[in-house]
Amino acid sequence: MSTIGPIRLPLALPRVTRDDDDRVVAGVCAGIARALDADVTFVRLTFSLLAFASGAGIVAYVGAWALLPAPGAPLPSRKRRILGALLLVWSAVLALRGLGVADSIVWPVACFAAGLMLLNGQTFGLDERRARLAAGTLILIGVVTFITGNTGGSASTLLAPGAVAIALLLILAPWAWRLAREREAERAARIRTEERADFAARVHDSVLQTLTLIQKDPGDARRLARRQERELRAWLYPDREPAGDATLAGAVDTAAAEIEELHGVRVEVVRTGDAPLDERTQALVLAGREAMVNAAKHSGVDEVAVFLDADGDRISLYVRDRGAGFNPGAVEHDRRGVAESIRGRMERVGGTARIVSAPGEGTEIELAVSGGRTLDGAREAEAPARPAPEQQA
Amino acid sequence: MRVVLVDDHDLFRAGVRAGLDSSVEVVGEAGTVAEAVPLIKELDPDVVLLDVHLPDGGGQAVIMQVAPERPAVKFLALSVSDAAEDVIGVIRAGARGYVTKAISGEELSDAVRRTAEGDAVFSPRLAGFVLDAFRTGEPVADPELDQLTAREREVLQLIARGYRYKEIAARLHLSVRTVESHVSAVLRKLQLSSRHELTRWAAERRLI
Repeated sequence: MSTIGPIRLPLALPRVTRDDDDRVVAGVCAGIARALDADVTFVRLTFSLLAFASGAGIVAYVGAWALLPAPGAPLPSRKRRILGALLLVWSAVLALRGLGVADSIVWPVACFAAGLMLLNGQTFGLDERRARLAAGTLILIGVVTFITGNTGGSASTLLAPGAVAIALLLILAPWAWRLAREREAERAARIRTEERADFAARVHDSVLQTLTLIQKDPGDARRLARRQERELRAWLYPDREPAGDATLAGAVDTAAAEIEELHGVRVEVVRTGDAPLDERTQALVLAGREAMVNAAKHSGVDEVAVFLDADGDRISLYVRDRGAGFNPGAVEHDRRGVAESIRGRMERVGGTARIVSAPGEGTEIELAVSGGRTLDGAREAEAPARPAPEQQA
Repeated sequence: MRVVLVDDHDLFRAGVRAGLDSSVEVVGEAGTVAEAVPLIKELDPDVVLLDVHLPDGGGQAVIMQVAPERPAVKFLALSVSDAAEDVIGVIRAGARGYVTKAISGEELSDAVRRTAEGDAVFSPRLAGFVLDAFRTGEPVADPELDQLTAREREVLQLIARGYRYKEIAARLHLSVRTVESHVSAVLRKLQLSSRHELTRWAAERRLI
C-alpha cells in the first residue's frame, strides 16, 4: 500500500459494497472492481499476487470483507470496521516487508497512513475531535519514528526533511482543497444574495413606494409613474446616460426630467451625438428648459418632444409640442416675454433661436449654437444639410 | 388588415387590442417564440406586431424562423426598451420598423397600416439611433450602404424632431411617397450596412 492510497480511500470507500452476484469467495474483488470501474480479473490478480508477499493479499481480503458492507445492507458495526482497517494496515505492512522495505520505513508509513485515513473522513464512529486527535498522534508517531529510525545512515539524513515536507503536504492538501471549494461556493452564494438584496432594495425604495403613493393619491399617478419609469430606465439601461450631468446630453436629460417632475407632462428626449458642457452649450440647455416649460404650461397637451442634434459643427436643440400654438408676431405679453428671454439667452452666446408656431398648429422652438468640437474629437467638417430657416405667421 | 400580436404580457396585448382601430383585425396572439412561429406560419397575417423581448429568444428569433418561409409577412417591432442594440438588432433581423410601447392606439394603427403597405416605420427614437449609427466624418467601407445621403439625414432629423411623414413632405417640398422611399432606403442601409456601430450592436444581440 503506497501513501497515495489513503487519500483516495475516503473518496472511494463509501461507494464500495461487496458484490453478491459476481462472487467467488465473499464478493470483495467484484465489489472493488465495480467501484473502480475496473476488470474484476485484474483486481483478483492483484489480491492473489499480494498473497505471495508474506500473505498480505489474504489479510487484505479479510480486512476488506470486514470493512465493506453487503449490497443494500447498513455499514458493518464499528468494531468490525476497526478490525477491518487494522487488517488492511497489517496487510500493507506485510506487503511492504515482503517487497523488502526496511522495518524502519514500514512502521512509520503504516502509522502515517492510518492517521491520514482517520483525518480524511474514515472516523470509524469517533467524533470529529477525537478522530483528529488520534490522527494527529498517529501521524506524529509515524514522522518521529521515521526520523529517529533513519537518522543513522547518511542517505536518511537527507531523506528526513523531505519526508516531513511530504507528510505535511499530504495532511494539508486535502484540507486546503476542501477549504478552497467551500470558499468558492460561499463566495458565489454571497454574490447571488447581494444581487438579490440590491434588487429587492431598489424595488422597495422606488417601485413599491411609488405604488403606495399612487394608492394614497391617485390624482398624482401619472407624474409618479413617469418618474418611476425614468428612474427604472436609468437603472436598467445605464449606458444611455453617457456622462451624467457633465455633458450636454446628460444635462438635456436632466432638464427634461425636471420639467416632467414639475409640470406633469411627458418629455420624450431623442438625441444624437454629445458635446462637452461650456458656456454656449449651457445656455442651450437653459434656453431649451425654458422652451419646455413654455410648452408644458401653454400648449394644452401633455407631451413634449425634444431632439438634441450634436453631431456636426452646429449643435441644435428642438423643442416641439402639438398643442394650441400661438402667433409669434402678435402682442401677447406672457408668451412674448418667454420668447424674448429664450432668444436673449441664445443671442448672448452667439447662438440663434427660432420659434415656429401658429394657432392650432403646435409650436417648435429651434435653438442652435456653433459646436466647435463634439465629444468624439475633431469632427467639424461636413455639416449635414439642414432645412432652410423659416418663420411662420 | 390581419395582425398577429406577439408579446409575453397578457395585459399589454389586451391594451393593444383595445387601442387598435377597426381597420386592424387581431387574428392571433402568442406569448412566446415557440407559440408564435407555428401560429404565424399557419395564419399568414399581413403584419406581426412583435415584442423585442420574449422569454425564449426575443423578437429576432421569431423573424429568423418565420421570414424564410413567409417572406410576405411584415414585422413591426414594439418595445419598452431604450437600448440601441435591442432596437437595431431586431431591425437588422428584418423588422420593417420600431415603435415604443407608449404609442397611442391611433398612431399604432397607422404604423400597422404603413408596415402592411411595405413602408418603413421609424419612431423618433429609432431615428435618433440611426443618426447615431451613421455618424458623419467616419471612414466607411461602402459609401452606398454605409452613409446616409444629405436628404436621408434631413428626413431622419425631422422624424427625430417629432414630425410625421406628411409634415416632413410639406416642409421639404416633397411628396409623401418620396419621403417614404427615403425612409425605406435608410431601413435597407440599416439592414445591410456593415458599419462598425451596427455590427457591434448586432453582435451584442448575438445576431452574427
